Amino acid sequence: MGGMALGSLFSRDGLLGAPGIVQSLHHKPRAKRVVQLFMAGAASQVDTFDYKPLLQKKDGQPWDPGEEVELFQSRPGATFASPWAFKPYGRSGKMMSDIVAPLGEVVDDLAFLHNVVGKTGVHSQATLLQTTGFNFPGFPSAGSWVSYALGSENDDLPTFVVLPDHRGFASNGAKNWGTAFLPALHQGTIIRPGNEKPIADLRPPESSFITPHSDRAGLHLLNRLNASHAAEREGDNRLTARVRAYELAGAMQLSATDALDLSNEPQYIKDMYGLAPEGPGVDDSVMNVKAETEFFGRKCLVARRLLERGVRFIQIWSGNDNGFPRRNWDSHENLKRDHEPLALGMAHGSAALIKDLKQRGMLDDTIILWTTEFGRMPCSQGSSGRDHNPFAFTNWMCGGGLKPGTYGESDEWGFKPRDRSNYSTVYDIHATILHQLGIDHKQLTVRHNGIDRRLTDVHGRILNAMIG
Amino acid sequence: MPNWLWMWPGLFLSSVSAEIDFERDVAPVFEARCLFCHNRADAEGDFNLETRAAAFGHPDAIVPGEASQSYLVQMIGGTLPEMPEDGDPLTHDEVSKIRQWIDAGADWPEDRILVDKRPRDLDWWSLKPLAGAPVPQNDVLHPVDAFIHANLRRKQLKPVKEADPRILIRRLSYDLTGLPPTPEQAEGFVDAYDPASSMTTRAAVWEEWVDRYLDAPEFGEKWAQHWLDLARFAETHGYDKDKLRPNAWPYRDYVIRSFNEDKPYARFVQEQVAGDVLYPGQPDGILGLGFLAAGPWDYVGHWEVGEDKLDGRIAKHLDRDEMISAVFNVFQSTTVQCAQCHHHKFDPILMEDYYRLHAVFAAVDRADRIYHGLTNEQRERRKVIVRQLNELSVEQDKILVQLDREVEARISGIERRIAEIKETYGTSEEPQYGYHSQMASIPDTEKWVQVDLGASIEPTQVFLISAYHPRDGNGEGYGFPLRYRVEGSNDPEFRKDVRLIWDATSEDQPNPGSKTVSMDVGEPAIRYVRVTATRLARYDTNYLFALGELQAIDARGRTNYALNKAVTALDSLELEDNWQTSHLVDGIYFRANSEGAPFEELKALEAEMERIQAEIRSPEILARQEEIVAQQKALREQLKPYQSESLVYAANANWVNGSRFMSTNGDPRPIHLLHRGDLRSPGKAMRPGALPLWDGVGETFFESDNWEEGEARAELARYLTRRDNPLIWRSIANRLWQWTFGKPLAGTPNDFGRMGILPSHPELLEYLAARLRDDPQQSIKRMIRLLVTSQTYRRSSRHDEANARIDSGNQYWWRADRRRLTAEEFRDSLLAVSGALNPDERGGPSFYDFVIRKPRHSPHYEYHLHDPDDPKSHRRTIYRFVVRSQPQPMLTTLDCADPSISVPIRDESTSPLQALTQWNHVLVEAMARRFGQRLSEEAPDDLVKRAFLLALGRPPNARERELLGSHSRKYGSASMARVLFNLNDFIYLD
Repeated sequence: MGGMALGSLFSRDGLLGAPGIVQSLHHKPRAKRVVQLFMAGAASQVDTFDYKPLLQKKDGQPWDPGEEVELFQSRPGATFASPWAFKPYGRSGKMMSDIVAPLGEVVDDLAFLHNVVGKTGVHSQATLLQTTGFNFPGFPSAGSWVSYALGSENDDLPTFVVLPDHRGFASNGAKNWGTAFLPALHQGTIIRPGNEKPIADLRPPESSFITPHSDRAGLHLLNRLNASHAAEREGDNRLTARVRAYELAGAMQLSATDALDLSNEPQYIKDMYGLAPEGPGVDDSVMNVKAETEFFGRKCLVARRLLERGVRFIQIWSGNDNGFPRRNWDSHENLKRDHEPLALGMAHGSAALIKDLKQRGMLDDTIILWTTEFGRMPCSQGSSGRDHNPFAFTNWMCGGGLKPGTYGESDEWGFKPRDRSNYSTVYDIHATILHQLGIDHKQLTVRHNGIDRRLTDVHGRILNAMIG
Repeated sequence: MPNWLWMWPGLFLSSVSAEIDFERDVAPVFEARCLFCHNRADAEGDFNLETRAAAFGHPDAIVPGEASQSYLVQMIGGTLPEMPEDGDPLTHDEVSKIRQWIDAGADWPEDRILVDKRPRDLDWWSLKPLAGAPVPQNDVLHPVDAFIHANLRRKQLKPVKEADPRILIRRLSYDLTGLPPTPEQAEGFVDAYDPASSMTTRAAVWEEWVDRYLDAPEFGEKWAQHWLDLARFAETHGYDKDKLRPNAWPYRDYVIRSFNEDKPYARFVQEQVAGDVLYPGQPDGILGLGFLAAGPWDYVGHWEVGEDKLDGRIAKHLDRDEMISAVFNVFQSTTVQCAQCHHHKFDPILMEDYYRLHAVFAAVDRADRIYHGLTNEQRERRKVIVRQLNELSVEQDKILVQLDREVEARISGIERRIAEIKETYGTSEEPQYGYHSQMASIPDTEKWVQVDLGASIEPTQVFLISAYHPRDGNGEGYGFPLRYRVEGSNDPEFRKDVRLIWDATSEDQPNPGSKTVSMDVGEPAIRYVRVTATRLARYDTNYLFALGELQAIDARGRTNYALNKAVTALDSLELEDNWQTSHLVDGIYFRANSEGAPFEELKALEAEMERIQAEIRSPEILARQEEIVAQQKALREQLKPYQSESLVYAANANWVNGSRFMSTNGDPRPIHLLHRGDLRSPGKAMRPGALPLWDGVGETFFESDNWEEGEARAELARYLTRRDNPLIWRSIANRLWQWTFGKPLAGTPNDFGRMGILPSHPELLEYLAARLRDDPQQSIKRMIRLLVTSQTYRRSSRHDEANARIDSGNQYWWRADRRRLTAEEFRDSLLAVSGALNPDERGGPSFYDFVIRKPRHSPHYEYHLHDPDDPKSHRRTIYRFVVRSQPQPMLTTLDCADPSISVPIRDESTSPLQALTQWNHVLVEAMARRFGQRLSEEAPDDLVKRAFLLALGRPPNARERELLGSHSRKYGSASMARVLFNLNDFIYLD
């Protein structure tokens, strides 16, 4: 498969600026680009977007949902009211907690699903499920599928970009943006905004012999020799494609540098995204709101600049693996300590991204998806933490022609879907995103080891109410 | 009679009976012809025919007593029936019986659930008996060429001429060893393979070089990589935390050695499925089992969650599925995993077949396993080394005893003073040790102990002091938990108002030894202080929680509120004077002398003692001692291969339990058919068996439910390597062609089913497969020799317009395929050409080309921190430590295999990111620098020529010499080397 797909790419001398495998879209698209915001470690729905007054009422009382509950780490503790107050926001009066208050300004643009159901409460499996549609490794990331399907909108930047948490990768590491059986070209390219080397190998390393002169002269010589090598071997367009790849690499050096240079952004924009005056070096020896806002906001601002330059798919990660001290959303021990700075930072940055895209007219054809591997339990674990809840959690989407509102409810505890026979899955969300991009999720297939593989496996129904 | 007919004997009963019987006359037709689409999962046309309720739930599909009103009858009847959609219409007799059944009231017992029972359709090329194929009789002698020529002639294609000798030797060297030919090899071959000499001479020269490369140890290092791609081999678990597998590499060495020793293929297969049972006592029998374990493994699911929980059982299920898929995709080119949720949609594989395979692997997991077994010769060698070591330690003792006497004479006074200080000022060793829990068998068991402070107060700090256990050298820190938390409350049950004072539960803590662990408390007031251990300390094979003293201190540090207060605990080991819960607050605990003037004196005395000791040791004695230590080290190194516990990460049913990862001890877990692949919907219990894909092979391995775990795998291994297994020989023959020529004869090497690509040269594949099967040695090398000695292999890769118009993809092999170096070949070539490669470092533990950060919890593999000049990493790429979660960035960009899945064919993508990597990667820079130095030393007068011979196996032409020479003069030989490493000519093999 890969060979054939690439053959058709190369015959157009494509590469980065390549059209995708879907030569004519399955239907009229509403969106062109996707941003996936991923809260690693599992963000609590009942402390952010899914208001549950019953928890307040029954706080400290034994939690009895009326059925057996098997938790990941612990036995169910008492009912645990959210430590944060909830208030209504926007025209819709959507109830949200204080730690996501910055999103209140754009809440009327958001489409909520509070009845998303996962498969297991294991971080690795659940993270893969959200990023690849399968709960075990070996499948392409949603970003790789989109890159493969639609190709690039630009000539000099990768189609699929990953902005990881600078403190480390989430569960499964690079598997969350790997191509598996799709060509390597569609892997997520890691960009680390604020880092000395934001993109690996973009520039020559420290060297005793590489100078700007030798570098330029070397590339020039290389292209001459490679061009004549290709000319002597007709009928093999891989050789000319490789010559072109070096030219595009040079272009990418320029445009990536430009995309990552925030110095020309006006101060009010930097403020809107919450960048700290001291920049990425802001003190976070103890996790705090200022630092988390800087970290997430910078990634959101860079994301906007990349979207403007035609990057198709961007993953933004909040939170790393389960190292120590905790720097992710996996609040088993202390919900307040972890969730408050992470959520406020996330809410500030993502609200800024939405406002900024809107004022540039880009929100109409950019989908933003907020997701996490699963939710957290309505009961306490230990004194002030919550265990995993894969039975119901929250996603929201925004932009890309999607209608704002609330499309799925959880039960009164935030424990399981209110309507147990009618809930949402990652397949539905992926199917809907592909639909908005003009792709029928059942038609985008690649045969691998004898099976026509899809991002949505054999599932997925488009969320018709949301697409209007 | 086809072997599926036993499934519904009722079908062949006489149909003269006037009474229509649902079970006999109707159900078998529905099951064979309708259920494939009209089941609960698919319910095509919104019609599900599994149960009476479902079928009758459709408003007018079946109208009892009214066949002609029934939609079902309209669909299957008539001259051009609409159903079944694919395949022949039902017979007249079948339709008429269904009509009669409906007219008679459509009797269908409530509890009768129908299942899809399509007949197995074995009429497919890969499932036909392997009969071999006669070599076409034409003017070509070599059998491979004879098959190829027959097709070329039919297609009116004219093969291009043989490639230039320099191209040939480079191609052969890379294909068989993965490395470029040295200039000496290239010159030697070109001289001998003289176009002017006779065909026979040239054939002999070619064969000589083929054998030379096949016999070289580098052959296995190249060909094992093909196999490791299939075997999804890596050395970390993948998933969350991605922990290391320090004992995975022996399997990699086993594969290399198996290729180099030319192990018969059937044996190679058997060892990898059931070597422990079929070849007991032989290391290869265990090492081969590394295959089953090579894929990813969900550490959290197996180790932390465990089988008590659904998530843990899902992890086990996924784990077996992973093993089964590997065995069948790799050895049988069969996609058995598609039958997990429903019968295979395209191939004759039922869900039952798939779950029978789960039963085969029901008792195995993945864990380290001892493979060591020494030959008599090795035992002798070991004895010799051990004897030498013993002699050395006797000599060492002599020297030390003599020294000790002299030292003793001079320091006895000092020693006495040290003892005095210790006695007076501390290191109390009173028998009231403290609190001690009962023993637990796993570390992650919660144990708590708490103190009642008597009233609700606000201590400023809580101190924890570890217990001191004087026996067995356990000393201070005994039983101190690895993970724990400290909480305060006013509720003795700790059910409400619980305040977390100290949380050390998320990561293992260093043992505090004699240091006091102090924590701030403050307000609000608390009455009870509870210490909960969440990961216990290890003692021998058990786990426990012990604490010497707990103090709750006031602001001035004077009052200890906890002193002699009431202590309760989850459990306690009350042991005479030593261990009592009350000892936790008795004010008695071990105090290592660690502060104050006496301590200073103690340190000074100890330093003085050391000084005297150093003085007494003469330089000669020290030199001899150093010599002994060096000899011991060398001998221990020599002993390594003979040590008694050599471990390999392999399929395993018997290991030492850890956390919630419990060995089955060979007792198979119960396996059920799972409806829709869901563990919450178990069906009937399954016994081991395999796929009855050809005549003469049964479904189950055992008649009874009493079967041995190992025997089930042994049966599977025997099944796979049967002579009449049509798949295994075709599968490997196709791969050998692919690994030699660059693309397979059948385009989907892991899938010979109906979704796979048909072979381009079925007769040739048939011939090769039978030839390998019938070779008494089942020799892989003999097959490769056959392939590379063909003219087809030696053709030029030149384009030809006329041929390309007929066959642009070169499906018929009118030319050779130009190919790019693989990721490993590229890296190996950088090292080899620059002179950095250490070719003699073969086998053994893998080198790291990353630095590990945070190794204890979730290791971070930091490739950018690795020093490319580190000689330990200047080994062939096959010996690198393969990480799953964070794959090597350079090799990944160059399309190396993803070790999470079996990769039969690698991609060959071209992208600007690849260009950036090859141009700017630190390894390319380091090797260019090194290559530049090498050139300046070896050929200062003709750098370019030497560079070309080393890197490209040919001399430069005038233009190249001019351009590169001028670049080198201006920017240095290293800069020129960097250009060379990026040439298409370097990266592509003509």
